[in-house]
Amino acid sequence: MIEIKGVSKAFPGRKGSEPVQALKDVDLIVRDNEFLTVLGPSGCGKTTLLRVIAGLVPHDTGEVLVDGKPVTGPGPERAMVFQSFALMPWDNVLTNVAFGLEMQGVDKKTRELKALELIEMVGLGGFEKRLPGELSGGMQQRVGLARALAVSPKVLLMDEPFGALDEQTRRLLQEELLRIWEATRTTVVFITHSMEEAVLLGDRVVLMRPRPGRIDQILDIPMARPRSTHLDSVESSGEFTAMVGLLWSNLRAMHSDVRRARQAGQAAATKP
Amino acid sequence: MSLVRRVLDSSALYRLIALAIFGTVWQLATLSHKSMLIPTFTDTMAAIPKLLIPGYSGDESAKLWDALYQSNGALLIGFAISVALGVPFGLLIGRFRTIERFANLYISILLVTPMAAVIPLLVMSLGVRDGAMPTRVILIVLFAIVMLVVNSRAGIRQIDPSLIEMARCFGAGELSIWRRILLPGSLPAIMTGVRLGLGRAITGMVIIELLFIAVGLGNLIQRYDAQLDGPRLYALIIIVVFEALLLIQFVRWVERRVTPWRKTPSFGR
Repeated sequence: MIEIKGVSKAFPGRKGSEPVQALKDVDLIVRDNEFLTVLGPSGCGKTTLLRVIAGLVPHDTGEVLVDGKPVTGPGPERAMVFQSFALMPWDNVLTNVAFGLEMQGVDKKTRELKALELIEMVGLGGFEKRLPGELSGGMQQRVGLARALAVSPKVLLMDEPFGALDEQTRRLLQEELLRIWEATRTTVVFITHSMEEAVLLGDRVVLMRPRPGRIDQILDIPMARPRSTHLDSVESSGEFTAMVGLLWSNLRAMHSDVRRARQAGQAAATKP
Repeated sequence: MSLVRRVLDSSALYRLIALAIFGTVWQLATLSHKSMLIPTFTDTMAAIPKLLIPGYSGDESAKLWDALYQSNGALLIGFAISVALGVPFGLLIGRFRTIERFANLYISILLVTPMAAVIPLLVMSLGVRDGAMPTRVILIVLFAIVMLVVNSRAGIRQIDPSLIEMARCFGAGELSIWRRILLPGSLPAIMTGVRLGLGRAITGMVIIELLFIAVGLGNLIQRYDAQLDGPRLYALIIIVVFEALLLIQFVRWVERRVTPWRKTPSFGR
């Protein structure tokens, strides 16, 4: 279980400008074995939230607990999947997947055996000797997923992992991720800017709003599991359409709020 | 692929044609405008074996090989020092901004100062006795090192920050980050620095010997120049250029060997 209590985080602004409040008083509990998706417009702090959980960015106030222990830095029980894949171009698939285990000091034979198992699991069997540059974007992200799963994490942190992929590849990987998740039930925190993706994958959707970044509301996704076997009918169901519609009306309201605030700010600035 | 296609595709063929055109134009130009200072292409070509092959023409080749040995000795030592100091220094200032703030001024000075203007000062203070090997080595380092520093720094800078973040995320400490991310990631740029630095070192070597410390190849160039020996002068310069090209090609070859991931074919080819 991840407990986030009253977490705030500000980044220093560019020269002269005010600091940017990326997160303000965020409270959130991520339950064990749940698939939590985080959605929001750009600047809402969703990626910062993930990086705080990962321990890559220190938070200013509040606390983040993973199974009761405070997060002070990165830890092996939390593994991350990156939007840019973050594969080492000089190492082959096998070495890339085994990287987390290598950093934990696992001996070469054991870690390569484990890596091979996961390469098979993400559907890349036979590609273990290829370099990342020889793979398509979708295959590269499968490597990224396998690398994260290889360390047997308690929580999988995914930062818009399919954001850089084309539509068809994204669909295939969503299906693949759901299949793997339904088999392993690892806790997942999944950042996305796609409403459809948030609803399709998640048990709950956390909707965030910008300036300052905070949680707007948390919505339960009622659709039954497993979903990977019949994604198409899930997407054409009334529940799916209703959820996406609800998220969109909220996001649209947020956008007009932001616009109104900006206009008000401009008006105030131009007043003599 | 057929042999004809392979020959047509190889850049060696085009290089050969370009050389042949160059030689022909040279030959025709010198034949039509007789000049004592510019030898014909054929005379120059004839002088090359005289200089290179021992015993072919008196002790000419002994002088050349002696000069090559003297010049390349300083080049080798100077360039090795440049790599051994410049690369680690460049990597460090690429990674740690504070060190860079200290060093930036001196790097800029090294980059913009016309070296030819500083050489006399250094030659005066460092001395020119006995072939002045230490002086020449130091000057070659001054010529070459800035390329290695600047490129190594750029190598660290252009590493995708998400790779470093990824490594930290999976529990890598600073040492592991260096070994697994920063060093391999900056290797292509380091090799570029080695190539450019070598070019500067060779330029530096010749300039120093030609203008300030008359030893080695520079001395030989001066002597042929003074004797108005056009063919030998031109032949010698061609030999020096050829040696530089060989060295650079060697570095390119090493570069390809140590960074094979840079030229991986796109998927499916």
